[in-house]
Amino acid sequence: MAKGTNDAQLLIQSLRKAYASTPTSLKIIDLYVVYAVATALIQVAYMAMVGSFPFNSFLSGVLSCVGTAVLAVCLRIQVNKDNKEFKDLPPERAFADFVLCNLVLHLVIMNFLG
Amino acid sequence: MGATSVASPAPLNSAPSSFPSLKALKFTTKQQELLIRVSALALIYVLAFVVRLFSVLRYESMIHEFDPYFNYRTTLFLTKNGFSEFWNWFDSESWYPLGRIIGGTLYPGLMVTAALIHRILHFFSFAVHIREVCVLTAPFFASNTTLVAYFFGKEIWDSGAGLVAAALIAICPGYISRSVAGSYDNEGVAIFALLLTFYLFVKAVNTGSLAWSLASAFGYFYMVSAWGGYVFIINLVPLYVLVLLVTGRYSMRLYVAYNCMYVVGMLLAMQIRFVGFQHVQSGEHMAAMGVFFLLQVFYFLDWVKYILNDIKLFHSFLRITLTCAITVGVLALSIGTASGYISPWTGRFYSLLDPTYAKDHIPIIASVSEHQPTAWSSFMFDFHILLFLFPAGLYFCFKRLSDATIFVVMYGLTSMYFAGVMVRLILVAAPAMCLVSSIAVSATVKNLSSLVRAKSKSPQGSGKPLSGSKAAAKASADQSLPFQKNGAIALLLGALYLLCRYAIHCTWVTSEAYSSPSIVLAARGHGGGRVIFDDYREAYYWLRQNTPPDAKVMSWWDYGYQITAMGNRTVIVDNNTWNNTHIATVGRAMSSYEHEAYEIMLSLDVNYVLVVFGGVTGYSSDDINKFLWMVRIGGGVFPVIKEPDYLVNGEFRVDKGAAPKMLNCLMYKLCYYRFGEMTTEYGKPPGYDRVRGVEIGNKDIKLEYLEEAFTTSNWIVRIYKVKPPKNRW
Repeated sequence: MAKGTNDAQLLIQSLRKAYASTPTSLKIIDLYVVYAVATALIQVAYMAMVGSFPFNSFLSGVLSCVGTAVLAVCLRIQVNKDNKEFKDLPPERAFADFVLCNLVLHLVIMNFLG
Repeated sequence: MGATSVASPAPLNSAPSSFPSLKALKFTTKQQELLIRVSALALIYVLAFVVRLFSVLRYESMIHEFDPYFNYRTTLFLTKNGFSEFWNWFDSESWYPLGRIIGGTLYPGLMVTAALIHRILHFFSFAVHIREVCVLTAPFFASNTTLVAYFFGKEIWDSGAGLVAAALIAICPGYISRSVAGSYDNEGVAIFALLLTFYLFVKAVNTGSLAWSLASAFGYFYMVSAWGGYVFIINLVPLYVLVLLVTGRYSMRLYVAYNCMYVVGMLLAMQIRFVGFQHVQSGEHMAAMGVFFLLQVFYFLDWVKYILNDIKLFHSFLRITLTCAITVGVLALSIGTASGYISPWTGRFYSLLDPTYAKDHIPIIASVSEHQPTAWSSFMFDFHILLFLFPAGLYFCFKRLSDATIFVVMYGLTSMYFAGVMVRLILVAAPAMCLVSSIAVSATVKNLSSLVRAKSKSPQGSGKPLSGSKAAAKASADQSLPFQKNGAIALLLGALYLLCRYAIHCTWVTSEAYSSPSIVLAARGHGGGRVIFDDYREAYYWLRQNTPPDAKVMSWWDYGYQITAMGNRTVIVDNNTWNNTHIATVGRAMSSYEHEAYEIMLSLDVNYVLVVFGGVTGYSSDDINKFLWMVRIGGGVFPVIKEPDYLVNGEFRVDKGAAPKMLNCLMYKLCYYRFGEMTTEYGKPPGYDRVRGVEIGNKDIKLEYLEEAFTTSNWIVRIYKVKPPKNRW
C-alpha cells in the first residue's frame, strides 16, 4: 500500500537523520558491532551449507562474534555521554574492562576451538 | 558513645617510662566499629569451621557415606597421576563389563580444589595426606561461605545485616547437614560457589561494571564445575532479568551485567566435558538464551525510541520489529523442540516441576531417600527460627525495594518451593533463608536499639527552633508511649533469647543428627558404654586382602563406590546409576531363585556377592529393607520379576507366612544363611530378625552355587564366593 511504503520511507529517513547526530566514536563502535554480527551470520550460513561437525568449532566461532559484539555494545553504553548512570565512569576504565573481557573471551574460544 | 579511654590522664603522668602512652589506644568510633566487625567476622569464620568437627573428634578423620568415597578415589587418582590423566580417565573397575568414562562424567570442581589445596600445603612443606585435606575441605569452604554471606548482606542491606547473615549461615543446620567434616561431596563446595556467583552478579547489577560481571562469569564457571545444581543459577538469573523488565525497573547496568555474564559464563561452562553443549541444546538452559535474545530486542527498541523522539514513527517501527522477532523466536523454538534438537527437561529436573513423575516412571530416582518431598518436621529441624524470620525479612525487603532486594526475594521464594519438593534441596534454600532473616533481625534490632538509645528530650530543652520543633514532636511521641523504652528493652531481650535458642538448637542438631559417618555405626552397650560397629570397613579390607586382584564383586548399587575405593575391587554397579538396565540385571539376580541368579552371575563374570544384613544388630538400612526397590527396578526392565510375587496380601513379610518366592530368592538366602541357628535376643527363639521383629520363615537354607566367604563380626556385611561351574563329567 502506498501509505505503508510512505510510512516506511518516513521511518527510514527519520532514523537516518537521528543517527547522523551521534558522535564519531560511537559510530565506530556501531560499525564494529555490525561487522561482528555479519561475520556471525556468514558462519551460520556456512554451517547450513556444510553441516555442523565439529560442533565445538562452530560454536566457538559464532560465540566469539556474538560475544565481542555484545561486549562492544556494553562499551558503547558505558562510554555514551547521554547515559546518566555511567556519568562518573571514566571512559578509559570502560575501555580497559572491554579489553579484559575480550581477552578472557578469546582465550576461552581458543581453548574451545579444538 | 564516647571513645574508650583506658586510663584517666592523672596516673599516666606518674609512670611515664614503663608503660607506653595508653592514650594512643583511644579509638575513634569508626575504628571501633571496624574492630568489632573484623573480630566478629573472624570469630564467625572459626565457628563455622569448628562446629563441623564433631565426627572427627568422636570417631576419626575419615570420609563419610557413599558418594564421598568416589570423590576421594578420583582425588587420589588426580594427585597421583596429574590433571591430564584425570581428564581423560577411563575406569574399567566399575560397571563391569561396560566401564565408565570418569573424565567425561564427573564435575571436577571439588577434586581439583582439594588437589590444589593439597599442592599448596605441600609447597609450604606441610606434608598432609590427601585424605585429611578431603575431610576438611567442606568445613573450610563453609567458613568461606560465611565471608561471602557477609559481603552479600552488606550489598543488599547494610553491614549489620551482613554480620547477622554470616552468623546465621555459620551454624544453620540445613547447610551443616551436607558440609560436616568428612562429607566430601560436591555440595560442600557448590554452595560457596552458588553464593559467590549470586553476590558477584548482584554487585555487577548494582555497579554496572563489566569487571564485576566477568567475575560473576568466573563464579558461574566454578559452580558449573562443582555441581549439577548450576541449572538453578542459569534459570534464576534470567527469571530475575525478566521480572525486572516486566516491572519496569530495568536499566543499562542490567544489560551490561547479564550479557557479559551469560556469554562468557556459557563459554566457560562448555569447557566442562560433562556439561558439553547442553547450554545450547538442552531445554533446561533455553530460558537463559531466550532472555538473552529478548534483552537484545528490548534494548534495541529502547535505543531507537530514544533517538527517534517521535511517538508515531516509533510505534510503527515497534510493530514491524515485534512481529519479526516474535515470529522468528517462536519458529526457532518450535522447530527445535519438535525435531528433538532441543532436548526436553531430563527426569531429575522434571520431577521438580511435577513431583509425581518420578514415582510413576523412574523408580531409581524415586528410591533415593533424599529425593522425597520434605516434611514440616524437616523444615523445623533444619531452619528453626529462620522459618518465621523469613516472612519478616520479606516484609522489610518489600519496604525498601531495590534491584538487590528483588533478587534476594526471588532467590528465597524459588528455593523455598524447591526445598518443599525435595529434601536434598533444603541445602540450596539455606543461604536465602539466612540472608532474608538477617535483614529482619538487623532491621528490628536497629529500630529497637535506636528506641532504647533515644534521649527523652525535655520540652524546654534546646534553643534552636528547628531541633526544638523536632524535640517537641519527639516529646509528644514520648508522651503518647510512656513505656516505649522499657518495651524496646524487653523486645531486645526477647530477640536475644530467640537467637540464643537458635544457637543451642543448631549445636544440638549438629551433634546428634548430622555428625554420623554412616560407615561406622555406634550404639549404647549394656553398661551404657559406647559400642562401635566397624563392619563395613572390616568387610572391604577383607576383600582387599583376601581376594584376587581381578575379582568382580556384585552388590546393590549403594555400596559400589565404597567397594572400589576401600576394597579396591571391580564392581558391577555403583552409585552413579547411569545404566538402569545394568542395575535392573543385578536387581533381577538378587530377586531370582538361586539357579536363575547363577546364570546371570556367570554371564557377568561375578566372583563374589556382597550383601548387607542388619538382623543381628538391629541396623535398619540393610538389603532386606531395600529389597522391594530391587524388585521394582528389576521388574521395570524384566517383566518376569513381578512385585506381587514377593508380597502376601500387599504386605512384605519374611516370617513363616511370607511368599514362597520371597523365602527362596537369592537375597533371602544370602542374608539369612546360618541365621536360623543364631540367638539374637534374650528370650526370643533362634533366627529372630531384630529389624523386622519376627522369627524368619526359612531357617534351613542350603546354598548350591555359592559358598560363604566372610561374615563380619556383627553379621552386618556378608560376602559369598560364586562357585565355578561344575565339570561336565
